[in-house]
Amino acid sequence: MANLLVDIRDQQFNLYEMLDLEGLTKYPKFGDYSKDMFDMVLSEAEKMAVNVIFPSNAEGDKEGCSYANGKVTVPKSFEDVYKKFIEGGWITISDDAEVGGQGFPEVINAATKELFGAANFAFIMYPGLAHGAAKLVEIYGTDEQKRTYMDKMYSGQWGGTMCLTEPGAGSDVGALKTSAKPTGDGKYKITGTKIFISAGDHELTENIIHPVLARIEGAPAGTKGISIFLVPKYRVNSDGSVGDFNDVNTGNVEHKMGIKGNATCTLNFGDKDDCIGELLGDEGTGMRVMFNMMNEARLGVGLQGLAHSTAAYLHAVDYAKTRLQGSDLANFRNPEAPRVSIINHPDIRRMLLWMKSQVEGLRALMYFVAYAIDMSHSVEDQVEKDRWHGYVELLTPICKAWGSDMGFRVTEYAIQVYGGYGFTSEYPVEQFMRDCKIASIYEGTNGIQAMDLVARKLGQNKGMNFINFITLMTETVSKNQPDGALKDAVAEFEKAKNAMADIGGFFAQCGASGKFLVPIGNAYQFLELMSTVTLGFFLLWQGAIAEKKLVAIKKEKGVKDDDWVAVAALYKDSKDAAYYQGKVAAAKFYGAYILPHVEAMAASIKKEDMSIMEIAESAFASS
Amino acid sequence: MNSAVILKQVPDTEALIKVKPDGTGIVKEGVKFVINPYDEFGVEEALKKKEAAGSGEVTIVSIGPDRSVESIRTALAMGADKGVLLKIGEDEYSDALATAKALAEELKGKDYKIIFCGKQAIDDDMAQIGPMVAELMGLPCVTVVTKVDVSGDKAVCSREIEGGKEIVEVALPAVISCQKGLNEPRYASLPGIMKAKKKPLDIKDTKLDAPKATIDKWENPPQRAAGRIIEGDDAAAKAAALVKALRQEAKVI
Repeated sequence: MANLLVDIRDQQFNLYEMLDLEGLTKYPKFGDYSKDMFDMVLSEAEKMAVNVIFPSNAEGDKEGCSYANGKVTVPKSFEDVYKKFIEGGWITISDDAEVGGQGFPEVINAATKELFGAANFAFIMYPGLAHGAAKLVEIYGTDEQKRTYMDKMYSGQWGGTMCLTEPGAGSDVGALKTSAKPTGDGKYKITGTKIFISAGDHELTENIIHPVLARIEGAPAGTKGISIFLVPKYRVNSDGSVGDFNDVNTGNVEHKMGIKGNATCTLNFGDKDDCIGELLGDEGTGMRVMFNMMNEARLGVGLQGLAHSTAAYLHAVDYAKTRLQGSDLANFRNPEAPRVSIINHPDIRRMLLWMKSQVEGLRALMYFVAYAIDMSHSVEDQVEKDRWHGYVELLTPICKAWGSDMGFRVTEYAIQVYGGYGFTSEYPVEQFMRDCKIASIYEGTNGIQAMDLVARKLGQNKGMNFINFITLMTETVSKNQPDGALKDAVAEFEKAKNAMADIGGFFAQCGASGKFLVPIGNAYQFLELMSTVTLGFFLLWQGAIAEKKLVAIKKEKGVKDDDWVAVAALYKDSKDAAYYQGKVAAAKFYGAYILPHVEAMAASIKKEDMSIMEIAESAFASS
Repeated sequence: MNSAVILKQVPDTEALIKVKPDGTGIVKEGVKFVINPYDEFGVEEALKKKEAAGSGEVTIVSIGPDRSVESIRTALAMGADKGVLLKIGEDEYSDALATAKALAEELKGKDYKIIFCGKQAIDDDMAQIGPMVAELMGLPCVTVVTKVDVSGDKAVCSREIEGGKEIVEVALPAVISCQKGLNEPRYASLPGIMKAKKKPLDIKDTKLDAPKATIDKWENPPQRAAGRIIEGDDAAAKAAALVKALRQEAKVI
């Protein structure tokens, strides 16, 4: 089956030409690995994604999840896919060998997650959440908890979730009401209701372990009084086998616009006052513990946006190449002119190149952040370590919010490329769009990501993370050819970058002079601005590499730029030449059409316009 | 039960193949190479037979340039125990007989109960290696096999024939060439990939005999001419025009 999910050539470019994946193997942590192993993993992941997982995508969407008599049913095809996924050992690809993992770099994990997510995101959430929950046990659990829960979750035998949201506590987690009452033997009785729990109930696994945020009786209000508990669906016998039902009752499954194959459940803990949980970590540290999972999940949600957008983009390109409609522009007066594929039409090309630049910019961002995690774990020097870790901190809200917002817009463009057929369920692109929408909402809405960026991340580490990132941008982009095809794009980038730095300073001033509403009210605008600059940075980084290689290929083959017949023949015959030309074109387009918006965005922010607060609530609508 | 699998690395079935302008071969730049799908059935069957027997080793033997190592490693990651690459240059070519001789030389004198191979390679579609290796080694050969049951020193195989299947009993050791339908090859698991790195893979520089059959030139099949819609006022007129065209232009009736 053809791969219309992820451009493998671009994946390779990111890993080996932009990032130095092979260079990671010189550090002790990755000393046992090599390029042929990375390639084999990626190749097997591609096969798994294309041949095993993707066929369940449309089926899972149509079938959805159902709830009857307290029992949840997930799409039938997921059972076999889950079995094969687990047999492959894919859950623990980048976890340490001592917990049963394979120890590959995070960037390899990101690349495989992109493939699997593009193939069927609703499915991949089941093992994905089990992994996130097991990671909490790995970090904070006692040895006994690790043996009881973590081992079986990492192996895929048991599932996992994250239980934060309640009917009255979503973005405001501190308002949660679920309570935990000590039973005297070190355990707790859990009572309360959690809603919107992804992968909340199913029978893909024989047990499900729920990390549940709850307040121990008498603990203070707000987030400080919250602890986290491991609550199994079925109690675990002393020999590790699955025991009695633990009074974790599924109330219903949500009917959603997308990711329908994933069971989003209401869970009622302790309806019969017989739900037992164990404390994970110390009392009152629930939020801190859960944030480990949240950070992983936020990067995962960013990857979700990338995954849906890459699948939508490749489907759109494929469709545009095969769908015949209209004549070539040069023949537009001749009604007898032969029909051409729609990729010949300027407006289709505009959409495709816009999509390409967004998808490839997002991929570079996501892989870079994963690589930064690897580097922060690999380098010895503390300053270096902090610098790499700083990129991760700073860029996590951008990965999450921009990955989901731009990813969604790319899927929407894909429908536009398909035209009327794209709007029907006969074609796969509308599902990509529906599946993608949730990404801007869960794991902290994008509004919350913007606040995290502006209020926490910009000033974090005394502002050094932001400054280091600007320095990295400046140094990297200066490697572009001064008189090359990207000259104008580089100039636009410099202006955009300066505008971004300027707003950083402006926000600091606003804070110092007590005008807090300016940065808060403009948090999303700033996220948009910084994300636009960030993607521009990655596209120009890649463009510089690609341009150099393209020039070298032309030189080697004796192709002169002004000989357009030879140039066209080169792009037709040489896959590498065509690939690099595409990279340069995406960067050039982004420089011409997207980066110039940044200065206008900055000007808007500096107006300190407060319309959003000035408008009376009663003035939004007249009824 | 020890067995061997003859494995060839071929361009991916999804790859768009372009012939070099001078007709000396295909353009390999940007082409992904994979295990020949029919050989993959052989790897899977060898692993299944080993698992059923509870003991034994599966050895992968391949002829090809350096890059073939990736495909051998993939087979090792699937569960095979060791690999041998008879290494030749990237564009070094000989014919099937010379290739079969080198393989037979490598395979002989070992204790392989079955030598599996694909029924053919999907690149040059010659379908000759299996039978030739068997002949050179003095072994029986069953081709186009979709089922293998081993008991003792015999195997009962189903093979595809036109309009049905043929059941063949064969004395072991034997060469068995595998057809689609024999099994569903497993995917390499991550732990399998980790283990594959430490499994023995012997690379031997190999010189093939000069070919008796040489390739003069590669070219694409001629492009199919566009079809023609026969016009006419009614069915009878169209039929008349069609008969005329078949008789006078196509000269087939």
